[in-house]
Amino acid sequence: MLQNLFHFLIYPGLLFVTVIGGLLSWFDRKVTAMVQFRKGPPILQPFYDFLKLLLVKETILPAQGSKITFLMAPVCALCAAILSGLFILFPLLGIKAGFSGDLIVLFYLLSIPSLAYMIGGLASGNPLASVGASREMKLMISYELTFLLVIAGIILKAGMNIRLFDVLQVQNDTGAFIGSISGVLLFIASIFCLQAKLGLVPFDMAEAETEIMHGHFIEYSGLPYALIKLTKYIMLFILPAFLVAIFMGGFKWQGIHILWSVLKILVVVLLLTLIRNTNPRIKINQAMRFFFLWMNLLAIIAIVLIFFGL
Amino acid sequence: MSELYYIIFLPLLAGIILFAFPERIRMIKGIVALIISGISFFFAIRLFSYSPQLVNLDLFSFLFSQNSIAYKVLQGASEFSSYNIDNLGKFITLGICFFSMLILLYSLAYLDKNRSPHNYYPYFLITMGLSAGAALTDNLLLFIAFWGFLGLTLYKLIKADNDQSSSAAKKTLILVGSSDAIMILGIGIIWQVYGTFAISELDIPTTSPILVIAFLSLLIGSFTKAGAFPFHTWIPDYAQHAPASSSACLPASLDKLLGIYFLTRICVDMFSLSQWLTFLLLLLGVMTIIFAVMMALVQHNFKRLLGYHAVSQVGYMVVGLGLGTPLGIAGGLFHMINHALYKSGLFLAAGNIEAQTGKKNLDELGGLSRIMPVTFISALIFALAISGVPPFNGFASKWLIYQGIIDFGREPGLANNLWILWLGLAVLGSALTLASFIKFISGIFLGRMSDKLSKVREASILMWLPCLVLALICTFFGIMASQTVIPKMIMPLIGDFEYPGIWDSTVVSILILVSIILGGIIYLAANMKRFRSEDSFIGGEKIGEENSFSVVEFYKTIREFKLLSIIYDWAEQKWFDLYDLLKKVTLSFSKWLSMAHTGTLTFYAVWILAGLIIMFIVML
Repeated sequence: MLQNLFHFLIYPGLLFVTVIGGLLSWFDRKVTAMVQFRKGPPILQPFYDFLKLLLVKETILPAQGSKITFLMAPVCALCAAILSGLFILFPLLGIKAGFSGDLIVLFYLLSIPSLAYMIGGLASGNPLASVGASREMKLMISYELTFLLVIAGIILKAGMNIRLFDVLQVQNDTGAFIGSISGVLLFIASIFCLQAKLGLVPFDMAEAETEIMHGHFIEYSGLPYALIKLTKYIMLFILPAFLVAIFMGGFKWQGIHILWSVLKILVVVLLLTLIRNTNPRIKINQAMRFFFLWMNLLAIIAIVLIFFGL
Repeated sequence: MSELYYIIFLPLLAGIILFAFPERIRMIKGIVALIISGISFFFAIRLFSYSPQLVNLDLFSFLFSQNSIAYKVLQGASEFSSYNIDNLGKFITLGICFFSMLILLYSLAYLDKNRSPHNYYPYFLITMGLSAGAALTDNLLLFIAFWGFLGLTLYKLIKADNDQSSSAAKKTLILVGSSDAIMILGIGIIWQVYGTFAISELDIPTTSPILVIAFLSLLIGSFTKAGAFPFHTWIPDYAQHAPASSSACLPASLDKLLGIYFLTRICVDMFSLSQWLTFLLLLLGVMTIIFAVMMALVQHNFKRLLGYHAVSQVGYMVVGLGLGTPLGIAGGLFHMINHALYKSGLFLAAGNIEAQTGKKNLDELGGLSRIMPVTFISALIFALAISGVPPFNGFASKWLIYQGIIDFGREPGLANNLWILWLGLAVLGSALTLASFIKFISGIFLGRMSDKLSKVREASILMWLPCLVLALICTFFGIMASQTVIPKMIMPLIGDFEYPGIWDSTVVSILILVSIILGGIIYLAANMKRFRSEDSFIGGEKIGEENSFSVVEFYKTIREFKLLSIIYDWAEQKWFDLYDLLKKVTLSFSKWLSMAHTGTLTFYAVWILAGLIIMFIVML
């Protein structure tokens, strides 16, 4: 149990994913700044932000809301993010731990942070949070099917294995999945799912700063908002890591491969950042149509291609 | 095997005797019923320790002298009274007795003069005895007798005091009753071909059309009872109009247990399914999931919303059983028991809300989490469990079913190759379930509370305790799922199997608990008492009716999509409702026939004469 706690809290759990996630968040902000011809923040800026919220800023609770639910929701989001991080990183980093989860478990765990944000937002009693939560839920309904189809495609490619470890093994033997047409199509679909899961433009209608003032996060401040920030950093690391695991054959920690491993993650984050910086926010019904019609179609074409061995 | 008398016949007799007592002493009748159900529950536990066996039960012929006619009749009838005490039957019986006891406890506080149907407790006890009988009997004739009477008690457990509720009751009776009639056809075919009524002796291939018809007619019976598409339409109406305790008992738990029990019997024990039937079952399963949950999304009445979910969850069980692999069947059965736990819990929670506030619609409620904390916590657990959020029990059974689907996809075959379709729709259904429960939870418990509700208090202990017990069991089943509950409880029902995936529910649950405690500590360390409370900021505007954004509007976007809005319109005009379709057909026939009824006497006389002449010619 002590070992499990170590995995959960230190490596590759909370501490590790926070550090990497914070650095990736800096990378995202730096790239954004470069796209916008700005200088960009220093490398430790994400951590300053987090610590400022945690230690300095005052926490204000909504007078009309359910306070305990409001406060516990970020904790649940963080916990689910760390757990899914563990299940992704154990096979990726080759750690033998006493517990694990398969792709179905991961699929469900990765949706908990959004769920917790929604419940937290709704618990605040703010109408704008309610708007945000409703959009988040509709967005979730739309991308979940696409995301599942992507995972199903991976399962099919990996010879009906649903353990991430086996998926990596198969890629080790036969080459990374992104090297085929179907792999590329699935990768495109999953990049957009990630964009929606992370709440990045063009799918940030649930947060929409300029319109509904951060939607379901509107009432959060100080300590609980620090936890949400932390969850966002972690998600920015583990979701790209998940894509690296299921499409790009994972990490290798020998010689030049270390550089490749880091580059794989950076490329995925770079893609996400570039999409978010070059697109406008779309409306929720447009987003739903986008996923339900186009992305699902793409995923289905990919699955048909897999059946023909492409 | 004297246990069987206590489980089946004691509640039946006690129920019949309770009819004799007046309604004025309803409370005492309730307590008696609770005691009787407790006795049955005790004997159901004792029955659980017996090894699987077939027994013949004497139907009380020992009460008469050996030479009397009654003795001979009962001796003859006892031939049909054979019971199969196998793992599945014992398990279902235990479930039936447990849920009945819990819901009776709840009814004591919930049912007052306005809500109670006439003779509620006698009918409840009879329901319990009949259900246990149906789950244990090995004889198809005795089975259909138990099963048929259940339809009647279901009808009597709605208080039909206005037009809507009496039409819901009528619809229930007609749908369930006609499905029973169709089942008799199936049983007749089996008798005709095999010459036996013993379930345990049958192993029927579905090769010839007549046997497929027999299978389908039995399938219709189990689908109607469990509430699977397209025979589900009585459940939402029933859930909306019946008292919450009746819905928690019948459509939510007992009928699911029985319907799925019988589905397991016909799919696994009595028939061996051909590929097309597997395909049909899977197709109906996913259609049940999606159609019902789409309807649930747009409901305003929270009991009706729960009713639609009582339908949609059946889809998962049908998919699980339709797969026909040990993994799938285990998933289906585990989902059945989980569903009974959280859905009866949800109905009880809804009953609490209704009893305390008197409101029935989501848009009239809100912000109750502070004044009804126990109901809120239980309802939240049920909602997370039904949406399949780890680590609760609903996730564990869905996880089994999904693995079953993927495992099923490894084999060649038409239905097998379509595994991605089944998986995708099942998961989509799960996401939509989550969506509608976000609406349910936030509409009732979260958000701002209107001033009208400020006098509401938490329900009495008799009402929240059953909810809390069910919520604890849901959590326990979820936490212990993969290591304890599935191997110890579900595997004995269908045999051992290996998981293709991994899910360490216990370790993960401990880690979740640790993080919640740590979260609490962080908040306490930050001196939570000093946190300031302020009213919401919505961009400088005052919160009023026009910008309060009610939960009812949540999924309007979905309702307004082009294709979907057409389907929703059709559904609201009841074009998918088998009952209403048949009603339309019947009414158009009678309209046609009524044209002959002009009211002119000579016209009728001509008809009579014509009839006589035709009869005369035929007779010649």
